[in-house]
Amino acid sequence: MKTKQTLIASAVILLLGVPLRAAENWVRYVSQPGASLVKVEGTSTLHDWSVETKLLGGFIELDPAFNLEKPVPGKVNARVAVLIPVRQLKSDKTAMDTVMYESMKEKDNRRIDYRLTEMTLKEAPKAADAPFLFDTTGELVVAGVTNKIQMAVTMVRVGADKLKFNGSIPVKMTSFGIQPPTKFGVFSTGDDVKLTFEWLTARKEETAK
Amino acid sequence: MNNAETSSDLNRREFLKGGSFATLMTLLGGVEILSRSPARAADLDTLVPFQINCAVIGVGTWGREVLATLARLKTAQVTAVCDTYPASVKRGTNAAPNAKGVDDYRKILEDKEVKAVIVATPTHQHKEIVLAALKAGKHVYCEAPLANSIDDARAIARAAKESRKQVFQAGLQNRSDPQRRFLIDFIRAGAYGKPIKARVQWHKKQSWRLSSPNPDREQEINWRLNKAISLGLVGELGIHQIDAASWFLNQQPVSVAGFGSIINWKDGREVADSVQAVFEYPGGAALTFESTLANSFDSDYEVYYGTDAAIMVRGPKAWMFKEVDSPLLGWEVYARKDTFYKETGIALIANATKLTSITEKATDEATYTSTPLYFALESFLSNVNTVATAVEDFSGTFDTSDKAALDKFLADLKLTPAAGYAEGYAATVMAIKANEAVVKGEKTAIGKELLEVG
Repeated sequence: MKTKQTLIASAVILLLGVPLRAAENWVRYVSQPGASLVKVEGTSTLHDWSVETKLLGGFIELDPAFNLEKPVPGKVNARVAVLIPVRQLKSDKTAMDTVMYESMKEKDNRRIDYRLTEMTLKEAPKAADAPFLFDTTGELVVAGVTNKIQMAVTMVRVGADKLKFNGSIPVKMTSFGIQPPTKFGVFSTGDDVKLTFEWLTARKEETAK
Repeated sequence: MNNAETSSDLNRREFLKGGSFATLMTLLGGVEILSRSPARAADLDTLVPFQINCAVIGVGTWGREVLATLARLKTAQVTAVCDTYPASVKRGTNAAPNAKGVDDYRKILEDKEVKAVIVATPTHQHKEIVLAALKAGKHVYCEAPLANSIDDARAIARAAKESRKQVFQAGLQNRSDPQRRFLIDFIRAGAYGKPIKARVQWHKKQSWRLSSPNPDREQEINWRLNKAISLGLVGELGIHQIDAASWFLNQQPVSVAGFGSIINWKDGREVADSVQAVFEYPGGAALTFESTLANSFDSDYEVYYGTDAAIMVRGPKAWMFKEVDSPLLGWEVYARKDTFYKETGIALIANATKLTSITEKATDEATYTSTPLYFALESFLSNVNTVATAVEDFSGTFDTSDKAALDKFLADLKLTPAAGYAEGYAATVMAIKANEAVVKGEKTAIGKELLEVG
């Protein structure tokens, strides 16, 4: 019995220890203010609409085994966490924004969150300034509902210590429990929206803990 | 035979009105048609996008007007009122039943729940309160004029400029008035030709004297009649029209000449009851301000004279009087006309085309029926929310030690139109210099550098 307990304890320590040890040498890039943009575009029975914000926070940590100089296609060990404050998503019409926040239950769910679960380099860049092409899988949390999403993401190196990511994904409002706003009288918004982002990160000198 | 369907019943004017409306709506994607549907209005009425806890400091006559206006704004939550005079505090709490009443503004500044303050005290008391409020991290709406001296006005403007995480709005409410914002685009587009002159007036037969059973209190509340601290009619009232005119002319004056006298109210007052001031603008255009407390004829309005037309602004309404040799704009053929003695004015009504679509009667009414103060306070609360949430969200997303990045982010925010510290300061300088000219009865220069906050 005691042996079993020791084994379990050891396993727990081992499991906890692996990511911690791995993180010690991982290279961390953090979101840079002012240089990122998230845009959500949608439709309605009358006209297309869009909201956007430059506030895109978060980080990406890359396994040092992933060599940016000589990238090898295949699975890349990486951790990504991204956050977007919902109320910073704005259009040109304040009243419409208010309806959108209401529909997204903003008071209870202040942020849109994204967490990466898997990232695969499809092919190595063919030139020094060519983009890295990744296939990613992650969890997108909107209005308190988590959905697994798969998205193609490109990455380019900006200078010696910055990485810029671009991506786009179609999502359905209803898949996040959001009823497409119909509060405008006789017209309604479409369920399908497109989320596009441009995300600039810069290498943080301190080792991630 | 149904005569209603014959072509003679569809007159050209109605057809064109309908056609232009349809075209406009198509260009707008049809949103505005629906913006007037009852369903949307009801929904938006029930949504409270945010609420700002605010306090009014100084609840005299104007402060209570501010309170009455805030009561109509669902985004305002008045949590405190302040005045040094107990009866005013009582009137203030009557107007804002959920607010606590205090006699010292510092109690409001210590209150962490209060996010924004509206300073409506006598002009000469603004500086101390505004500087302390900004230092305490409050968003500030300061009534115009900002101060009764250029040094004080500059101190306020500089403090506001430094307080980048806070909103500072000068109480030049015309700057937030949608009707005037509609007109400014119209004027800047050259619709009235080259600016020649502007004439503004404020006439009302009233003493401007307030009464109180307490002699000390009476002296205190009649600060506007005290030459040492009051900027007189041209400064305390004229500042709004002088600012609006300079804004419309898109220029700042280089000099002002003034004249004033006490003609009717010889009650021991030191401040003129009738004044004239003439501002000179680069290029030769002139602005004449006329005001009297001795005659009420024609009340208050502004007229802008250009080479092609004159534009008269009265409250929420405006008209254009065209010269016979002015170019045809097209739309004015179908616009509503009003007769003023021997002149015919073409009504300039924001969103007039849309109003026409609803009912014929609607065109007889101004689009915006709320007061400029309502729109100014609405803008203030909206901007407080925008800036405060932006600062909070930025701090929660990035390293706040990067002040340049935060400044850039805040500078890019889309704010609702309102007068900031720079406009408030420049208008205050114009008011002070104009009063100086009126008091001395002479012409005084307004240096360009004097109008800049620095």
